[in-house]
Amino acid sequence: MTGLVTVLGSGAMTNTINGILDSDVMLVIGSNTTETHPIIGLRMLTAAKKGSKLIVADPRRIKLCDSATLSMQQRPGTDGALINSLCHVILRDGLEDKEYIAKRAENFDAFKESIEKCTPEWAEKITNVPASLIEEVAHTFAKGERAGIYYTMGITQHTSGTDNVCSLANLAVITGNLGKEGAGLNPLRGQNNVQGASDMGCNPSFFPGYQKCDDKDAQEKFAKIWDCSITEKPGLMATEMGDAITEGKLAGLWIMGENPVLSDPNSSHAQKAFEQLDCLVVQDIFLTETAELADVVLPAASFAEKDGTFANTERKVQRVRKAVPPPGDARDDLSIINMVSNRMLGNQNGGFNATIDPVFHTVPPFASDIFEEITTCWIAMAGMSYDRFETESLAWPCPEKDHPGTPVLHKGVFPRGKAWLSAITWNGPDENPDEEYPLILTTGRVLYQYHTGTMTRRSEVLESSAPSAYVEMNPADAEGLHLTDNEMVRATSRRGKIELAVRITDRVDKGMVFIPFHYKEASANLLTNDALDPKCKIPEAKVCAIKIEKLV
Amino acid sequence: MSTVTLNINGNEVIAEKGLTILEVAQRADINIPTLCYIKGKPTDKPCTICVVEVEGKEELMRSCVTLARDGMSIQTDSEAVIAHRQERLAVISETHFGDCKAPCNLTCPGQINVQGYIAHVAKGEYEEALRVVMERNPMPFSVGRVCPRFCETRCRRILIDEPVSINHLKRFVADWCMTHEIDLKIPKNKPTGKRIAVIGGGPAGLTAAWYLTRKGHEVTIFEAAPKLGGALRYGFPDYKIPKEIVDYEVNTILRMGINIRLSQRWGKDFTLQDLKDMGFDATFIGIGATIDVPFDVPCTDKENVYTASNFLRMINEGRRLELGRKAAVIGGNNIAMEVSRALLREGVEQVTIVYPRARLEMPANQRNVKEAEKEGVQFLLMASPSGLCAVPDETTRLKLDLIRMKLGEPDKRGKRDILPISGSTNSLGVDTVISSLGQMAVDGVMSGGELEEQLKMKPGGMFFANPRSSETSVEGVFAGGDAAIGSKSVIQAVVSARRAANNINAYVMGCEKDPADTRFNFTRGKSFDDVSLKNFDEIGINLREKMPERPPEVSTQDYDEVKLGFTEKMAKREADRCLKCGCTAYERCDLKRLDIDFKVNINKTGMGREPVYPIDNSHRAITIDPNKCIYCGRCERSCEYDALEVRADSFDEKGRPVGLIIDFKEHCVSCGKCVENCSTGALNKKNRIVPIQSEEVREIHTTCPYCGTGCQMVLKVKGHTLMEITADPEIGPNFGDLCVKGRFGHNFIQHPDRLKTPMIRRQKGLPLEPVKWDEALDFMAQSFSRILGEKGPDALAGLSSARCTTEENYAFQKFFRAGIGTNNVDHCARY
Repeated sequence: MTGLVTVLGSGAMTNTINGILDSDVMLVIGSNTTETHPIIGLRMLTAAKKGSKLIVADPRRIKLCDSATLSMQQRPGTDGALINSLCHVILRDGLEDKEYIAKRAENFDAFKESIEKCTPEWAEKITNVPASLIEEVAHTFAKGERAGIYYTMGITQHTSGTDNVCSLANLAVITGNLGKEGAGLNPLRGQNNVQGASDMGCNPSFFPGYQKCDDKDAQEKFAKIWDCSITEKPGLMATEMGDAITEGKLAGLWIMGENPVLSDPNSSHAQKAFEQLDCLVVQDIFLTETAELADVVLPAASFAEKDGTFANTERKVQRVRKAVPPPGDARDDLSIINMVSNRMLGNQNGGFNATIDPVFHTVPPFASDIFEEITTCWIAMAGMSYDRFETESLAWPCPEKDHPGTPVLHKGVFPRGKAWLSAITWNGPDENPDEEYPLILTTGRVLYQYHTGTMTRRSEVLESSAPSAYVEMNPADAEGLHLTDNEMVRATSRRGKIELAVRITDRVDKGMVFIPFHYKEASANLLTNDALDPKCKIPEAKVCAIKIEKLV
Repeated sequence: MSTVTLNINGNEVIAEKGLTILEVAQRADINIPTLCYIKGKPTDKPCTICVVEVEGKEELMRSCVTLARDGMSIQTDSEAVIAHRQERLAVISETHFGDCKAPCNLTCPGQINVQGYIAHVAKGEYEEALRVVMERNPMPFSVGRVCPRFCETRCRRILIDEPVSINHLKRFVADWCMTHEIDLKIPKNKPTGKRIAVIGGGPAGLTAAWYLTRKGHEVTIFEAAPKLGGALRYGFPDYKIPKEIVDYEVNTILRMGINIRLSQRWGKDFTLQDLKDMGFDATFIGIGATIDVPFDVPCTDKENVYTASNFLRMINEGRRLELGRKAAVIGGNNIAMEVSRALLREGVEQVTIVYPRARLEMPANQRNVKEAEKEGVQFLLMASPSGLCAVPDETTRLKLDLIRMKLGEPDKRGKRDILPISGSTNSLGVDTVISSLGQMAVDGVMSGGELEEQLKMKPGGMFFANPRSSETSVEGVFAGGDAAIGSKSVIQAVVSARRAANNINAYVMGCEKDPADTRFNFTRGKSFDDVSLKNFDEIGINLREKMPERPPEVSTQDYDEVKLGFTEKMAKREADRCLKCGCTAYERCDLKRLDIDFKVNINKTGMGREPVYPIDNSHRAITIDPNKCIYCGRCERSCEYDALEVRADSFDEKGRPVGLIIDFKEHCVSCGKCVENCSTGALNKKNRIVPIQSEEVREIHTTCPYCGTGCQMVLKVKGHTLMEITADPEIGPNFGDLCVKGRFGHNFIQHPDRLKTPMIRRQKGLPLEPVKWDEALDFMAQSFSRILGEKGPDALAGLSSARCTTEENYAFQKFFRAGIGTNNVDHCARY
């Protein structure tokens, strides 16, 4: 998100899911879309069938490659070099949209200079993608009338994550692909409400609606809405909290609905930190690995047991409606926040109707009350309401009650005025293979599982479809280690080791392996690197160096 | 846009040019049925159900492929069209093979979704199971102990080994929920403002009160006894239904919010007119049948001669009676069995049941007869008491004169009357005689007031109630349970009262009553003889779990329960024995719906008789039963991935497939869209094992909780149970598509591992301990406040989740920023 904010002034998917069907070129990079976003993947396959050119750039020969017009297998962690090189070819061959750049972009010269040396030959050495293929991709992309870029964690979960996003934005800007249907720069959100959580300022630097915490006007505005004083001190990012605990600065932590002990890179580090807290409160629907460490465990509700909204990857705010009551004494998360708030801060709910529902036991203020408050603090959602959601599907910005929402962003002007073409120098990943750890590990998802598996592993159809962890390895590497398919192996990095089965496949290149991160019995994140992107502090979960050994 | 104007069923319809007649009709909300239509994907093997009559055309036209033209005049339901559809449906139905509903379900007087609750038990979802039972029977605790189990007599498992122990499973889930103090969270409708009086607080009264309260009415129960429960409390002895079970059952029902007035005897303390005057909109009579039919032989006015109901009432009230060593019980009904077994527990050494016919002719359930015998009750059969006038010898207090009986010639109906054998008199010396010759609601006519006197009675002392409306001869007064149908089983009283409640609701609301279940049913065989054994080729013998019980020599020493109940493991094993006869596509089956709509009588036109194909369970998410396939091809054409092929070796003379193959390709992604498009139950989701029948199913539109696509889905909910997830083809961004996680990834919601109670760790090193919310909140607030006081606001932080709602995330950061005063708030996936 930091990347998109830098370039454009706003961080979200610029276009729509079904706009994919209108595109004539799709560049899918660092996204195993058919597995991670199956319905978006389906739209891509349909578009490809209809004649749209599908370009896939992924370290693995993912399923999309089977339907792709062009596909590139770059080395993990070298996306930035690849993208810069694409930009280089486009400028070198004069394929850029000059009119668009003149009208809508700035800093072009510095940008142009920064990619001067990023020739396809230079990139081939780094990425292992043939220079001629890079040229062909650059031409195909630039010649597309409507060329959309789609990416996920494969781009962002790197020490150079922010830079990668800036590079992709550069590519979209110089080809004039922002602000029209079927094109755009489209981060595919991995979780149901990443967009909503970001929108709502669950972020140490932003108030709801991306209003900066260090901005005096924003501070005043929220001080007024919330009727309180606002601290000027910057907050801690999730990835900085571990160290803050170890240093004794952070003593109480409330985790709502996350399982960082399993999901964070170098997860044993997170566990050690949590154990040192004075008070760890975990609110979840299962006793997760993180909850097991907690001092207070609060039983929460699943999506089917509560009211509210999720904002999807295309910025559409959509209703979540309670269908069944939570089990036992579990309560919906909002009621829990309200109860804690009442207990700690006194009753804040004057004015809200406090009838207790005997089936759902919801405690006011209710989701609809909160939503109304949200519409008063962010203009982009000011025109939305639960009433409108009954009949309409609205993407923000939607500033007025009769505004139809904005499916495609940046038609006409960017939030920051002109797009900023950043000069990006590509830096390699934090950790590279060496003699001791000769393989590059990249991690990802499989269709049948989701995240740390707390939900999917308890749904029998899904669990039986993908019941155990595995490491994908190229036949050449497997042969070198005398491994046979499905044999158990040990994977070791500088941070930890796990045991799992080997799956021999040419979907991964020689020198590289892939492990899905869903399985706690062989948690890939015990191996991954928690080195952070310096700008947005995202950890480099997608690439690290490991070794694989035969189990004896 | 150019348009066409045409006439459908006499109405002018203007439509976009280029659409088919079917599409035009759909947009105009005119229903044209079809079994094979998939938008934009025509088939070369059409069902031809969608035909319509087009003026000027001799032949019927398929509306799915005929373009609507200007000036067309169309009949969608002319006689010829209907005749064609009926014929086609009959042809298709002829080879459709399977059970719509399971035989257990059809046999249950309560029409309980038996297969459904067994399926829940098999999955460990006991709470859900109990809710399924309680949809149709609010008294599972008692019925689970005393049900005559009509269902088990028709269980198809009998054809393999033994029937599933259905009733024991019902009792298990009820008991499990009781021990785990489960709040079933039964919903009720908004208040209607209507008030209903219920006379009698036994099974019928409680049942009526429960259903009427759920409908939103204000119900008051008037009970003559000092406690509620009726026959459950004063009829059944403790070894059958312990009093704490009765208490729990009654309280479960009362928790719905029901008013009670105890020790109020109808006809003495109040009258029907009084109830009217109090403003009740309707009255339900559910007083049971508690008056014993008199023992009509000479000299029964002696001491130590009791009638059954009175006797059981005294025993259940804890009265000590001097009963002596020997007792005779006159009669062969269920109550006689309980009287006999109670006598044994009262210390009577020899209990003899006297009955004038053969044992198999006893009205009592044979299971009850066997249980009495096992405990040592003796049977004197083909004997009838003739009087108690004789003087006993010193060893006993009474002398019961008896005469032997024989069977007479069969009458026209083949029934043989009993005749005394002349000169065969004999006598039995006993200390106590208890007669159990049947019960009535009222002896003679009801008295107390004018309205009471207007109540028509049936012969045998029951209230007349119109079988269709449950109404008595007095307007606004209804009757049900034993008081109307005579002394029967608890479940039958429950059913009668539930029907009455449905009628009362319709009466006070002036609305239609909830429709009765359809009688339409495809079946693999009505009687056991009709069922092909090929159905069970793959199923091995697996005998039923044995109910743990106390041996008779121990159990007759006290009133503790004899049958101890299944353990959880036994219950799961027993539930796994269920053959799952009923179709889990019951509520979505288009073939059944159209057969009913077009009044196709499949009992005459025919249905499949035996399985042709084995059921295929090899797919990870989908069960394939080709025997139900009607070759509509919707599955194949709805697949977005071309991962499914349906083909046949050949076709019979009526165009039906022979050698059918439903072939899922290796690249199938298990999204399940084909199942949703299947027009019968040929394709079924493996995790949708509970059939949905006539119960109300709510459809709730919501957003998928997995990736960020935000697919819109429809949650199908029955009671509080999420049955399945589907998608609406009209709603984006997914327009009917979902992935495997969307359609199949929701079982976690009902998973037993769910956190159900707050927990705290009082001290580092100690284990987490379940506590009430109050304590957990106090503990957390104190810890956080202490940190806040000692180290300041920045020593606290919050990590929220991209899984939670926008509103929750907003409230969470507001708590930290506005409440605590720190910006230390983040979420784990903000990238």
